[in-house]
Amino acid sequence: MKIFLTDGTPSAFFTAVFDAFKENDCIITSKTDIQLSFGSEVISCVYDEEKCERVRAGIAKYEKNAEEYIITALRSCNPLREQISFAYIKKLMSVRAPIYKCMSLQEVIDLNELIYKVNGETHRLKGLLRFIETNDGVLYAPYSPDNNITDLLTAHFADRFASERFVIHDIKRNIAGIYNGRNWTTCYASEAEIRLSENEKNFENLWKKYYKAVNINERPHEKQMKGSMPVRYWKFLPEKRDNN
Amino acid sequence: MIDEYKLEILTESAKYDVSCSSSGSNRRNRAGGLGNGSVGGICHSFTPDGRCISLLKILMSNECIYDCEYCPNRRSADVRRARLTPDEICELVINFYKRNYIEGLFLSSAVFESPDKTMELLTETVSKLRKEYNFNGYIHLKGIPHADGGIVMKASKIVDRMSYNVELPSEKSLKLLAPQKTKQSLLLPMKSLNEAIECDRQNKIRRGKVLPAGQTTQMIIGASPEPDGQILKLTEALYRNMNLRRVYYSSYVPVVQSNKLPAVGAGLLREHRLYQADWLIRFYGFDVNEICAEDENLSQEYDPKCAWALKNMHLFPVEINTAPLETLLRVPGIGAKSAYKITEARRFAKLDFDNLAKMRIVLKRAKHFITCKGKFYGSDSYAQVKNILMLSGTDEISEQLTMFSEPSTAVSALTGEI
Repeated sequence: MKIFLTDGTPSAFFTAVFDAFKENDCIITSKTDIQLSFGSEVISCVYDEEKCERVRAGIAKYEKNAEEYIITALRSCNPLREQISFAYIKKLMSVRAPIYKCMSLQEVIDLNELIYKVNGETHRLKGLLRFIETNDGVLYAPYSPDNNITDLLTAHFADRFASERFVIHDIKRNIAGIYNGRNWTTCYASEAEIRLSENEKNFENLWKKYYKAVNINERPHEKQMKGSMPVRYWKFLPEKRDNN
Repeated sequence: MIDEYKLEILTESAKYDVSCSSSGSNRRNRAGGLGNGSVGGICHSFTPDGRCISLLKILMSNECIYDCEYCPNRRSADVRRARLTPDEICELVINFYKRNYIEGLFLSSAVFESPDKTMELLTETVSKLRKEYNFNGYIHLKGIPHADGGIVMKASKIVDRMSYNVELPSEKSLKLLAPQKTKQSLLLPMKSLNEAIECDRQNKIRRGKVLPAGQTTQMIIGASPEPDGQILKLTEALYRNMNLRRVYYSSYVPVVQSNKLPAVGAGLLREHRLYQADWLIRFYGFDVNEICAEDENLSQEYDPKCAWALKNMHLFPVEINTAPLETLLRVPGIGAKSAYKITEARRFAKLDFDNLAKMRIVLKRAKHFITCKGKFYGSDSYAQVKNILMLSGTDEISEQLTMFSEPSTAVSALTGEI
């Protein structure tokens, strides 16, 4: 069995799809620690413009938004993301018509599941991301999301904090989204050294006071709170980090 | 910088206001400004009572000239008092917003000095926040009853949402418990704001319109004797005549000792059932009379849709592959998102029971009311169905109150929840 190994980017994935399409039984993955079964052959796929463009054009012919769906799905932390996206493309090419809403197909359900989780986490973190003001006025937000969504969040906050400068730092993947007050970009960043602004501790303290005061003690409903704000995000939330 | 002691007092005083949503406004950021609106609304944190924090909910002052029976800040109460200046509020909002703690400001106040004076100072604050501090995030401003209409109109051009609290579901109770507020002092400003919104809509004004996120209101449940039917009737009238975006219910919590008030709270279940009924009226095409007679309460055992379906068993089961959307919406257990998913998916292929399960449609209740490709998977006996639904109702109680603003993304925009 052939295993097509990509570097995790959408363009390498589309290149791999081109090569894998004619195989009967194969795997596309970006995982480097896969278990090799006997007789499997690993093929490393690097971006090839012609192949990539042909696959993208082929998909777009049958479903206008399919590329966007797949790019979203590839952000997922699910190790099978490439496989699921590949299965979707194969199905699309055999049906030859838009299938995204055809929820009776397993391929479509699987892809929807990935997209649902990626979009859900993006929305959730638009609220749960916390910035720290540094002494030179740059806002810094460390976090470790399940899915690779730093650029989506950076775009959101570039609109919102248009006149600020900020860094959103995915410390799990070592990716940073940087906005300088005019435009934004993402880059590799492993460590950051932060000096807090003078007022930072005070406002953090006020926020914690507010959080405590706004709760209605007579109506406890901890389960609801944890469902909406999972514990794995707490370590970056000042109101949860220290007193729980 | 604002004093943390003051912040604590004024937050404690504001927290019983239920309204928290930051949805409905797509206000854009301006050059050099801070903040924008997000149509779906964004929750920024959740408190141990399960409610979300979206806006910085705070009173400008809790020094009140009124003496409303149910209110912990009434004039005769012996509580700590505080007042904030417009600049203190603005500074706090900007700094919380920059750290992404909040989505905007919810500003309310007790009535100090006079209604006009209070409204004026509230308006000055939000105006300052927009103009001097260049803040373009969400602002929800509470309307002060009896305040001058001109000031209210001025405020409505600055903020995203305004609300006048109906407080109690009947004029009689209002007279008894909040004699300084009259029905007219609440409904008249609501009406003139609605006319201003309507006027903008007809003139197709897109930028700088009055209250882009509309109006809401709130009433206390269980402090006065009105049955659910009467409350829902009022709710429906408010949606129809005032075009309100939401009516919030707050189950009465006995924080104040009084012989005019009950000693025990109304309980969360009653509040939950009212919200369920409210949803049925707004998004599921139900009429109040179908759900609850005017002098009755909603059933505690069953959710309102189940209760309705059990009374109308002759309409079921419906075939999932052919039933129109309106009919699907009336099946217990099938919500707006599920109904939409089904109508989309069945255009490609006929759906069977397994398909539904894989599409994440909850079938625990629905299976007794539907057929898939003509096949029925539920129970034949009416008594048994009743029993099963009641059981599923009891474990639902521990999971209730999910309507407190779950992240609503693209699909909820489609289903009209926002």
